[in-house]
Amino acid sequence: MIDRMKPGERLAAVLMGQKPDRVPVIPFILGFAAKIVGVPIGDLYTDPKKSFRAQLLCAEMYGYDSSPMYAYASFGAWEFGGKVGFPYEPGQSAPYVIEEPVKSEEDVDKLEVPDPKTAGSIPIMMEIARQCYAIGLPAVFQCGEVLTTAANIAGPGRLLVWMKRKPELVHKLNKKIEEFFVACAEYFVSTFGADKCMAFGGGPVESNKLISPNQFGEFVYPYMLRVHRKVLEMGVQIILEHPCADQNKNLPWYRKLREECGWKGKYIWVFGPETPLENQISLFGDHDVIMGNVDPPSFQFKSFEEILLLCKDNIERGMKNPSGYILGVGCEMPPYAIPINVYAMIKASREYGSYI
Amino acid sequence: MGKKEILEGLRDATVEGDVDKVVSFAKKAIAEGIDAYEAIMEGCAAGMNIVSEKYEKGEMFVPEILCSAEAMYAAIGVLKPYLKAERVETPKKIVLGVVRGDIHDIGKNLVKIMMEAAGFQVIDLGRDVPNEQFVEAVMREQADICGMSALMTTSMIAMPEIISELKKKAPKTITMVGGGPLSEELARAYGADGYAKDAAAAVRVAKELLIKRGGA
Repeated sequence: MIDRMKPGERLAAVLMGQKPDRVPVIPFILGFAAKIVGVPIGDLYTDPKKSFRAQLLCAEMYGYDSSPMYAYASFGAWEFGGKVGFPYEPGQSAPYVIEEPVKSEEDVDKLEVPDPKTAGSIPIMMEIARQCYAIGLPAVFQCGEVLTTAANIAGPGRLLVWMKRKPELVHKLNKKIEEFFVACAEYFVSTFGADKCMAFGGGPVESNKLISPNQFGEFVYPYMLRVHRKVLEMGVQIILEHPCADQNKNLPWYRKLREECGWKGKYIWVFGPETPLENQISLFGDHDVIMGNVDPPSFQFKSFEEILLLCKDNIERGMKNPSGYILGVGCEMPPYAIPINVYAMIKASREYGSYI
Repeated sequence: MGKKEILEGLRDATVEGDVDKVVSFAKKAIAEGIDAYEAIMEGCAAGMNIVSEKYEKGEMFVPEILCSAEAMYAAIGVLKPYLKAERVETPKKIVLGVVRGDIHDIGKNLVKIMMEAAGFQVIDLGRDVPNEQFVEAVMREQADICGMSALMTTSMIAMPEIISELKKKAPKTITMVGGGPLSEELARAYGADGYAKDAAAAVRVAKELLIKRGGA
């Protein structure tokens, strides 16, 4: 089929509950964009101008529907006073923690909630958001997840042991992170206006590979609920939520989150490939958009034809969501994905995802 | 307190991750003249086996495993000075590390815990390990197994390079891979002998591969 809508129009249609010409495609591309434009992946996370340009040009070249954003899984360590390294060496794909700001129980008490205007990566995130805003794209800010951020601040091993031995310390730390996320949201909303912003949350430490659903209920849910409530109360309408990796056992909590927030706003759910689309549709389909979750590593080692089939399957199942569907990847697109495999998503959308 | 109760106490306190209790049982084991090796294997290691099974069934999660491991190591700390040299079997050696460019080591650390609990000697190379270090360590230690972990699609590409070098320089060494982006299919494509989806599976796969190789 021939595209009858532009990327912005297509995504807006889905978010407004209307049918676009075809399924929008958001391939969750960050590091891959750097490879496409020929800059080091590290520049994506250190240089807002290069990052914006790379992401924008990559989207334009392929014709997919996402806009530039700044987010990374190790978020929190730098912002709270620790040190991160940037992915300039072989094998690296995203910023990583070099030094955690919390190394002892006493450090939790000493930890101060940073000013979002100057904290760590936030000025870079803000600059990319400004460039997006200038051309009518959403200003994206990160507001989760709390436990992943706590793990980046205190070190995952230390934090996970504290959850059993010193739960009060984890709660104390999480409370500070919650405060910071709300302050970040206020900063972006006051700069651009709530209707121009999109919140992003996600992280792997919440996954059931690491923690139980009960631990999610104790150490994640209350903080997540308060942050989301406040972000929605500020008037932010779109939240891109990425429960990373296998979070099947946490699904009831995510449903509860939406119920307790009164199904306010519109969520775009990006679960890992471990979570069947059918389960997502049954939980969120009456209100929210589901973003497909094609297996990310496959883009790096499978053939174009195989990826096309994976996308076809995802589209056929995802289009059954009554509140809208976007073809996507279950986590970040591998930076070393075979370039033609990204095109397979667009081709699959055109061939199998038409609404006309 | 009898031998059976002490060994069960060691086992249960390990499962509970109760450091004080496990140390107390370890001291009782020594006071009652229980063989230290037996106390470790029938008490602590048996406890970690239960932990491993519960993790595979989704009944225990990583915070509990880490606490159980703390308890196990605390008990071993008490019992180790009393090990009799002739009672210690030569353990199978595994070189373990997170590949170049990757600093995510929770998975690798869990594998280390489970392997040690299962009686393996683990040579832990840490994280962000250059390819040559894996190969050198395997040759130096004459390791039975080389286990490689990666959490990122950008770092996992070091695995086939390491495996290929090992096939040339230490062809008898069993190669195993694991980590978030890996799969059975990808492990095969990389030429690995084995793939494990988690730490509990890693022990099982390692034992199976050793039997297959004829050296268990």
